[in-house]
Amino acid sequence: MAEMELKSVRKAYGRVEVLRDIDLTIGDGEFVVLVGPSGCGKSTLLRMIAGLEPITGGEFSIGGRCMNDVAPRDRDIAMVFQSYALYPHMSVERNMGFSMEIRREPTARRKGPVAEAAKTLGLDRLLDRFPKALSGGQRQRVAMGRAIVRDPKAFLFDEPLSNLDAALRVEMRLEIARLHQRLGSTMVYVTHDQVEAMTLADRIVVLNAGDIQQVGTPLDLYERPENLFVAQFIGSPNMNVMDAAPGQGGLILGSGAVLAGPEDARHVGIRPEHIEIVEGGGDVTAEAQVVERLGSDTNIYTEVKDIGPLLVRVSGNIALSPGDKVHLRFPPGKVHFFDAGGRAIRAARDKVQ
Amino acid sequence: MTTAHDNHATGMPRSRFGRAYFRYAVEPWLYLSPAVLLICFVMMIPLAIGIAYSVQSINLLKPFDTGYVGLENFAELGDDRKFWRAMTNTFWWTFGSVTLQFFLGLGLALLLSRPFHGKRAVQALVFLPWAVPTFLIALTWSWLLNPVIGPLPHWWAAMGILEEPYNILSNPDTAMWGPIMANVWYGVPFFAITLLAALQSIPHELYEAAEIDGASRWQSFTKITLPFLGPMIAITVMLRAIWIANFADLIYVMTGGGPANSTQILSTYIFTTAFRALDFGYASAIAVALLGVLLVYAAILLFVRAKLVKT
Repeated sequence: MAEMELKSVRKAYGRVEVLRDIDLTIGDGEFVVLVGPSGCGKSTLLRMIAGLEPITGGEFSIGGRCMNDVAPRDRDIAMVFQSYALYPHMSVERNMGFSMEIRREPTARRKGPVAEAAKTLGLDRLLDRFPKALSGGQRQRVAMGRAIVRDPKAFLFDEPLSNLDAALRVEMRLEIARLHQRLGSTMVYVTHDQVEAMTLADRIVVLNAGDIQQVGTPLDLYERPENLFVAQFIGSPNMNVMDAAPGQGGLILGSGAVLAGPEDARHVGIRPEHIEIVEGGGDVTAEAQVVERLGSDTNIYTEVKDIGPLLVRVSGNIALSPGDKVHLRFPPGKVHFFDAGGRAIRAARDKVQ
Repeated sequence: MTTAHDNHATGMPRSRFGRAYFRYAVEPWLYLSPAVLLICFVMMIPLAIGIAYSVQSINLLKPFDTGYVGLENFAELGDDRKFWRAMTNTFWWTFGSVTLQFFLGLGLALLLSRPFHGKRAVQALVFLPWAVPTFLIALTWSWLLNPVIGPLPHWWAAMGILEEPYNILSNPDTAMWGPIMANVWYGVPFFAITLLAALQSIPHELYEAAEIDGASRWQSFTKITLPFLGPMIAITVMLRAIWIANFADLIYVMTGGGPANSTQILSTYIFTTAFRALDFGYASAIAVALLGVLLVYAAILLFVRAKLVKT
């Protein structure tokens, strides 16, 4: 019903191209997160879906109907803005019921849906308040309530949590996940925070500089990144990347260590949590410089001679102090290989496995 | 430091006229005194003198008949047909000018708030009339309306608005439209500037949110733009109405209150009574009456504005 399809959609401001050849299908009821660094075009893409930005080229359709020239009010979508965009001169109740007020529904009929949405969002006691008398989290809820009351085919979220503090962000993230489970509507969510992307999404779309880098489930992106950008963008802390050159017995790292791998690989990536600390031997020897103890994990910032910094993350607490020498092992199945252009060498890696 | 503090804590009630009293009660007034003195000299004293004149007989043509006459001047107002005529004219002059200025100014502000090529240049040009001296405006408009040298009567006659190209300033039925037109031309930029500033303070996302909620252009205007502009509209309409009610320059230069007092408003009537008939006492009585009318009007508008701001 509310399947959205983008076919080679592009966006340009004059001669500046901000989005190129975007092909994407968003299934009915799917939660898709657009993620990327700032300036990558993710918000522009969302605003084009909403109809707030004209589409320069290509075709966008909802449920098979071309939407390129359809006004936002006729697209049957709701959007939650980063700034919440609550109407400051209206009470919470009127804010939430605004879409019904626009449709000229009688005041009595507006009460029901507003009250219901307010109850699920815990706003029932705030209905008479004005936005300026609400906290950031409450405003966020009102903005979501307004979208729910609209009862749209699809929800769009434009970095909805970036103005909240860390604790509230986690709470609201959960709330949005629950909302999706309860309503089962199509949702498109823009964020630059990859934790939000990983936790909320059915599928993640990674954008960079106007191009789609990869589309996939969160675990797909984590385990099988298609290029260096996705590899380093997804996952926290970031993946370690080392230069490599082909040589005797496989790939030679800067330190002279030899790794088994495809010979056209020029970059080798390994996630901090996949590096093992071993008693002796291992692939490289590193010097610990900073040790961060998080309780559940320990982050060890190490320096390897002729390779550079490597971050190692081990589960739990280990006895290690800055200056200590550690032997690191890169388990063969966990190492990612990339060619000179940054593309993942998938087949070779699978062979190694 | 400690002793000063002790003095303050224990000595306050005893030394009512001591240092502490001076610090807290007198000192602020010392700093305010330049402003207070200025207000006294330019507003309070003239106002008091004006009110004092209104209960006296001060006529330069009858120098030996000067003195306190009580409310005689005001009693005379009641029977003065020219006064009531001027009162009615003041109402129509103010109402016509403010209404036209407001709606044209609002339209102009809405046009100027959307992006278009050469916006800065157009904005600067639009605001130009506000900078033109009123005497110049009055002269220019009276020439424009004069069929001997101005084009307007001929155009109107060609369009069928006038049966023949005559000077509307010379016809008692139409004379008021002349100064009103000049005033509208002069005053539209004021509303355009203030309303444009208010329009630009409305966050853009609100319109986007309303658009997504399904609002049409007109609904966005009535449900978002107007509520935001409301307080600004109330205050500018009030200020302009008071200024225009007191604004004698245009009328005085264009018609001098004529023909047959058909464009005489209270402020021109005050002016002619004081400086032509040289009857300062009676002129002051008219001025006090005008002040009373404007005070009532301002009180009503401030009340309306307070209600608008509350929500």
